[in-house]
Amino acid sequence: MSRHQRRRQSLLRPRRLAAPPLRFVMPLSLLACLLVLLVLRGLSTNEVFHDTRIAESVDKTTVPEDLLTGGPVIDARGDHKANPVSYRIPDKTVVLSFDDGPSPEWTPKILSVLKAHDIRADFFVTGAMTTRNPELIRQIVGDGHEIGLHTFTHPDLAFQSHSRIGWELAQTQLALAGVAGVHSSLFRPPYSSNASAMDDWNYPVIKYVGAHGYLTAFIDRDTDDWKRPGVEEIVKAAMPSTPGAGELILLHDAGGDRAETVEALEQIIVKLQGEGYRFTTISDALGASPAMVPVHGFQLWAGKGFIGATQVAVYTLPLLVGLLALVGFLNFGRFALMIVLAPVHARRSKRQGAWGPPVTEPVTVLVPAYNERECIANTLNSLAASDYPIEVIVIDDGSTDGTADIVEEMDLPFVRLIRKVNGGKPSALNAGVAAASYDIVVMMDGDTVFEPSTVRELVQPFGDPGIGAVAGNAKVGNRDSLIGAWQHIEYVLGHNLDRRMYDVLNVIPTIPGAVGAFRKEALRAVGGMSDDTLAEDTDITMAVLSDGWRIVYAERARAWTEAPASLQQLWSQRYRWSYGSMQAMWKHRRAVIARGPAGRFGRIGLPLVVLFGVVAPLLAPLVDLFLLYGILFTDASLTLASWGGFIAMQALLSWYAFRLDREKPWHLISLPLQQVVYRQLMYIVLLQSTITALTGGRLRWQKLRRTGEVAAAPVEA
Amino acid sequence: MSDTIRLRIPEQLRRDLPADPPPPAARKGGRDRYLDLLRALALVRVVLYHNFGWFFLPLLFPSMGVMFALAGSLMTRSLSRPALGVIRGRLRRLLPPMWLFGAIVVALQVLDGGGPDSDGHPAWWWAKLAFWVLPLSTPPFAADGLHGFGGHLESGWATQLVVPLWYLRAYLWYVLLSPLMLKALRRFPLVTLFTPLAIVIVMNGFFPDQDVVWPRVWETANDFAMFGSCWILGMAHQEGLLRRIPQYVLPSIAPLIMVAGFWYLQTRPVDPTQQTDIEAWPIAQAVWSFGFVAMLLHISPSWEQWPAPLERWNGLVSLLNSRAVSVYLWHVTALVCAVPLIDRLWEVDFFYAHLKWLLTSQWFTLLVGIPLLALLVLVFGWVEDVAARRRPRLFPYPRRPRRLRGRRRNA
Repeated sequence: MSRHQRRRQSLLRPRRLAAPPLRFVMPLSLLACLLVLLVLRGLSTNEVFHDTRIAESVDKTTVPEDLLTGGPVIDARGDHKANPVSYRIPDKTVVLSFDDGPSPEWTPKILSVLKAHDIRADFFVTGAMTTRNPELIRQIVGDGHEIGLHTFTHPDLAFQSHSRIGWELAQTQLALAGVAGVHSSLFRPPYSSNASAMDDWNYPVIKYVGAHGYLTAFIDRDTDDWKRPGVEEIVKAAMPSTPGAGELILLHDAGGDRAETVEALEQIIVKLQGEGYRFTTISDALGASPAMVPVHGFQLWAGKGFIGATQVAVYTLPLLVGLLALVGFLNFGRFALMIVLAPVHARRSKRQGAWGPPVTEPVTVLVPAYNERECIANTLNSLAASDYPIEVIVIDDGSTDGTADIVEEMDLPFVRLIRKVNGGKPSALNAGVAAASYDIVVMMDGDTVFEPSTVRELVQPFGDPGIGAVAGNAKVGNRDSLIGAWQHIEYVLGHNLDRRMYDVLNVIPTIPGAVGAFRKEALRAVGGMSDDTLAEDTDITMAVLSDGWRIVYAERARAWTEAPASLQQLWSQRYRWSYGSMQAMWKHRRAVIARGPAGRFGRIGLPLVVLFGVVAPLLAPLVDLFLLYGILFTDASLTLASWGGFIAMQALLSWYAFRLDREKPWHLISLPLQQVVYRQLMYIVLLQSTITALTGGRLRWQKLRRTGEVAAAPVEA
Repeated sequence: MSDTIRLRIPEQLRRDLPADPPPPAARKGGRDRYLDLLRALALVRVVLYHNFGWFFLPLLFPSMGVMFALAGSLMTRSLSRPALGVIRGRLRRLLPPMWLFGAIVVALQVLDGGGPDSDGHPAWWWAKLAFWVLPLSTPPFAADGLHGFGGHLESGWATQLVVPLWYLRAYLWYVLLSPLMLKALRRFPLVTLFTPLAIVIVMNGFFPDQDVVWPRVWETANDFAMFGSCWILGMAHQEGLLRRIPQYVLPSIAPLIMVAGFWYLQTRPVDPTQQTDIEAWPIAQAVWSFGFVAMLLHISPSWEQWPAPLERWNGLVSLLNSRAVSVYLWHVTALVCAVPLIDRLWEVDFFYAHLKWLLTSQWFTLLVGIPLLALLVLVFGWVEDVAARRRPRLFPYPRRPRRLRGRRRNA
């Protein structure tokens, strides 16, 4: 869809049309919301901030001796901040504790065993599991069990900063408040065992959480049930070391197959009850006040909000992933089509005389000009060097800067000048077509420069009488700047390779305004250029195609154009392009159900243009969204590696496109940065045009040229 | 348009265009406000960093690389004159402020128990004082064992005070070697530009124990290499080398270089519970600063006048620029002195009862430190003017003549 821009008009555009800052705010906040949803969902599946590192055991020089040899419950709160104390479970008392849950498969079974024996126990839950299984938490609380915190994402806290530890606890409390309306002051660090395992790295964690009001509960007996050693082993490990001693037993209700745990639990209870043990919760065994307190007000509602949002996120994700898959499918599909079809086109265009006898009769070159003072002379001079017989008609569309005078003053023998009042580019072109002496008209822009052979190459395909129009190869001239290099890559890859593909499928949707040729007959048949859309070149191309003419791409007909040199200019150009293309697609929508050549275009060309030109770029932000999510919250290196692979593939394809176009590949070093700056800008433009099209745009569909926002369409030459 | 034309139209057919505005030639006089702004930002960032110690500050703005690049650029501009005279001029401007600083710091150390006999080698002590005269290596200071003036300061206060000195040492070496580096740059631009980076990578990548040479030499060489590429980048900028390559190249590559530096940093955590500070990894520091400085120099808009939104900062920026050495030398002193002053406030009941959060806040240290710094600059800053053979001024905050301002508004 390479079309030429008109630089000077965009400079003349009134200030109020300068893009409002809001155009970034809306898309960006939408993306931010989606990112938040992704993170919420990632939290509940314990994908976000996941950290599997486990600290090695180190020296215990800083841990007080009496804590190492003391009971499993450490109190470092309030008065005990300086000198933490530990408590033992009283004799003939046992506390069962279940870590890592709740899990939908095993927790209900454990709960029913406990219920059958009318026993209360402790569940140290993770925040992630809590958000995922709110119903189970309510059941645990309802059955009278005690809940403790086991952090949100189950990291080894010895590796985490204070703020992260604080976040882990606060977030888990938030989840608990949301699902069951309670907070808990009991805490057990992940990867912990008995109090004697405290060391210089994890003891500060215990002191830190103690200072924040948490009672830390280690264990007496580790059953190692997660290793699935067999029911017998688990039961044996759960038995007290000295008969009658109180004990805190560790079991797990999540994290894998817990069938052995459930079976062993039954036996442990029976055995210990036989020995006269009493089963209870930690706070009850220690005679302390309840560990769980109900929450009200803001905390409760914040929790409910969090859980609600997470649920929404969990249900939205499949949709997002589906759309992402669609983007991937479209992008890879486009790559594949290009890789298959571009070589076909390249081979075909190498054949000499493929179009029939060489075309030699003179043609008319139309140069619509509106305030092209700086460039018109060079444009005409480049035409003077043409190696093909031409007649040039400059149509001055009411310029105010003396463009016409310059043309007159140059007094070139082959140039005719038409002065008319300003009426827009389509009207200028129509006037030119009416005045053209020859049957073939070449259209170019007032600030484009042709090579000597451009016209000859461009008109050769007209040797085939079925060909109604030819698209040339527009090149970026000012490619030395960063923004120029980006557009150069885009032209070579996006436009030229695209056009080869469409050519092979015989559905070229756009002949660039900077370089194209038409049979006068074909133009007349469709009623000439129209000002229904902002993209008159796409409009006329689709019309000619629907009328049954063939349109081909002449890659060697090169025209050098000046790409926008600032982001502001680029923005207005692209806004006009994408909005104009949408208008043109909408205008020709009936082609989808039409018969004959129009139907062929409507059922092959139009869907491809919509998919590759609108749907894929509109969904492209999802790629960045998942990229950002992957880098910031989950596995950064894996994400970056796969993204790097994608870029590498694109670079390879671009390199191929550059080779086909006989361009040096140096500009490709700008590709990585293009992917993280330019691409985003392009889809935000597209989003903005889509919003315009879907809202006010349709009402003013026919006559929007000089009204309101779409006056972003410059008063065209 | 002219690019396109030059590319594609045969010369005889070209019509002369109003040429693109010529790339701003090497500036003869006048100040480039953009460079002034960068220098001021660098100074502010250094003060903030030494107060807060936030790990992200050096990433946000690698002050040291920027300062050296600016200095390299200025040095190159001067080197159109005979090299020896230029070096002498630079030293004359650099050393007197440092001598003043050194005289005071050494005197304070002696007063506080860090005299010639403090480490048992009086001869060495006197000999090493030579580095306070010409800082080819780090000037000596009492690492600890000071009394802290009756316990008001930590015993290692001298260590803190001399933190900024490495910059002067590195600067001295850059100045001394600049004529050579400039010659090399003109002869082999790319090789010269990347040699310091290569040196720092070899030194730190292959000799992590730093035991190959005497620590003083290592330290000097390492600092030199770490920011050497930035200095040379500044030289290349002044020479117009950066404008000679296609303009898309630098902004395409520099971010990739920065990403490489960032990746190096991220993959080498020092403490798993904390974000790593880039100052901990010379390679990361060198690479990140290089990429960042390259971007800044690429942008380099050459402001003869302030852009309107920045004009209000003119006073502060000018002040910081004309007192850059003083601010840099004395800012740590100001921050160190702020601590015992704040400590006195703990004894005030009201503060103890209601404003503990304020007294423990790092922001409060900054709040007290800045007036102290202003005072120190007021007292010692004039030496910069003397060194530059200007009329000494107390506080060079520029004031625009009232009449001129009025005329401007009328226009």
